[in-house]
Amino acid sequence: MNAPILVVDDEPDMCWAISHLIQSQGFNVVTAFNGADACFKLANGDFSVVFLDAKLPDMDGLEVARRASTMAQGRPSVVLVSGYHYQDDPVVHDAIAEGIICTFLAKPFTNEALLKTLYSLLPTDR
Amino acid sequence: MGDNSLKKSFEVRYDMLLNAIPSSVLIIDRQLQVLSVNQNFLSKSLRSKESTVGRLLADVFPLVILQSTGIEESIRNVFNSGVAIKGQKMTYRAPGVPLRIYYYSILPVPNDQIMLIMEDVTEQVRLSEEVRRVERHLASVVESASDIVLSTDIDGRILTWNSAAEKQSGLTTQEVHGVFFYDLCDVNQKPAVRLIFQRMRAGNEPHTTEFHLLTPNKGGSILISWVFSPMLDDYGKTVGTVVVGRDLAERRKLELQLRQSQKLTALGVMAGGIAHEIRNPLAVCSSSAQFLLEDNVSPEFHKECARKIQTNIQKASAIIENLLRFARSSLDTDMGEVDLITVLKETIELVTNQAKVQKIQIQLSVQKPVILVTGVSGLLQQVFMNIFLNAINAMPQGGVLSITVNTIEDRVIVRVTDTGVGIPPGELEKIFDPFHTSSPVGQGTGLGLSICYSIIRQHLGSIQAESRLGQGATIVVTLPLL
Repeated sequence: MNAPILVVDDEPDMCWAISHLIQSQGFNVVTAFNGADACFKLANGDFSVVFLDAKLPDMDGLEVARRASTMAQGRPSVVLVSGYHYQDDPVVHDAIAEGIICTFLAKPFTNEALLKTLYSLLPTDR
Repeated sequence: MGDNSLKKSFEVRYDMLLNAIPSSVLIIDRQLQVLSVNQNFLSKSLRSKESTVGRLLADVFPLVILQSTGIEESIRNVFNSGVAIKGQKMTYRAPGVPLRIYYYSILPVPNDQIMLIMEDVTEQVRLSEEVRRVERHLASVVESASDIVLSTDIDGRILTWNSAAEKQSGLTTQEVHGVFFYDLCDVNQKPAVRLIFQRMRAGNEPHTTEFHLLTPNKGGSILISWVFSPMLDDYGKTVGTVVVGRDLAERRKLELQLRQSQKLTALGVMAGGIAHEIRNPLAVCSSSAQFLLEDNVSPEFHKECARKIQTNIQKASAIIENLLRFARSSLDTDMGEVDLITVLKETIELVTNQAKVQKIQIQLSVQKPVILVTGVSGLLQQVFMNIFLNAINAMPQGGVLSITVNTIEDRVIVRVTDTGVGIPPGELEKIFDPFHTSSPVGQGTGLGLSICYSIIRQHLGSIQAESRLGQGATIVVTLPLL
């Protein structure tokens, strides 16, 4: 279980917090600050989980998720992490129903909730 | 040529001359006998030459006229004194003709004769009565108006002051007559109002403005919207100024309510962007705080977490502060010195969140770091906020919002251009109308730009729109420089 985890957020401090949290559990983390960078890294790396901000300067987080969902193989589990949407937001609901994202985490989150989400998405053979 | 024919020729010329005079002329001797008369008199009095020449005045004029004018006495006086009598009035009604009014003069002429010249002024008298009637009507129009109407001479001294002016100012016509109008204005406004009167002297353009009128008898002052118009004489030369004023208190109250409700709409639009922007620093603070709660935190990491918390709280606080400033600013409505660039920068900061969410790039290009105008900064911010949010709404797929500021002569021109959907040609002239909206029902009040229009008008500026469908739109705001 060495597949790294991708953290996408245009706010460096946000990336710092999520990365630190995940790294503390012994995982490898790769960060991206915009949509294009995220798409490039997704296409050229093998990620198990992606923590994805909804609003990126160049494109919508959901658009990144949509592209990730079309990947033929090594398709990661995508968690939308956002302060723009809320838990029962129809947009979030639809994205989950369509299978574009696995789940949603509202900002601000507890570290515990983020880790719980992470572990729930990792392969069980760990 | 014999003596007789010479005499005949003189008589013909004499008659010709007499008849050519467009007034009634009688030559009378000391016995008050008519020696000659011209055609004008004969036709006005419906008499023949035979029944007039050689007759006594008493036979020619009706008795009632002779008695009422005492004309026989006057003629005798002229014979005795040799001094002419001029400009007397006579009302003459020949049998069967309407009443005529004459001015007459009695002039001594050589050889012991006098000339009675009667000028028919019936038409002039009728006209002057008509003029008086029109004057009375105009005066009652001015008096009945509920707006202040006053006139001044070319230097700005008050000549007339209507009832509404008396009522609203508490000053009577007697109190203000001859007073310089600008002496009734607030001390700070005096130089500006004086300048308006100077401009009236030179130009033919009316001038619109707003300032307080002092009401010394009631204490305090009232805010009035004024229109100054030059009063021109028949040759187009300015001879004075007409000033019309309307009390703004009631309108101001309505405008304030309207602006406030429009502001709430704008706040609603901004809420999405702001929520996103505040929750980010909150999330960083939250995670950092939770890291600090863990055991075995290294001193360096402890510091780093505390720093992250501190900077992110400041970030969130700055967003809230901007919001508060925007929400409250409308309470301040006094005009003052305002730096337009600061207003623009603060407003841009407020919409940055929303722009970011929609992937819109904002560009501001200015010539000078500071551009001063007279105005209310909160109101100007509301205008630009409205224009920016409209532009952002027009670019759902992202784009560029560019703001350029230029000064030309005594004006500053702000152009706000988007790369959005544009405005259809037919809509362009309607966009400043109240309740005109392109948004679906329930999403826009249609009041935003009409409020912008009223605010900019209040700042003595103008606002225009330029657009081609599908090629974005530009809103141009022009304001007078301080």
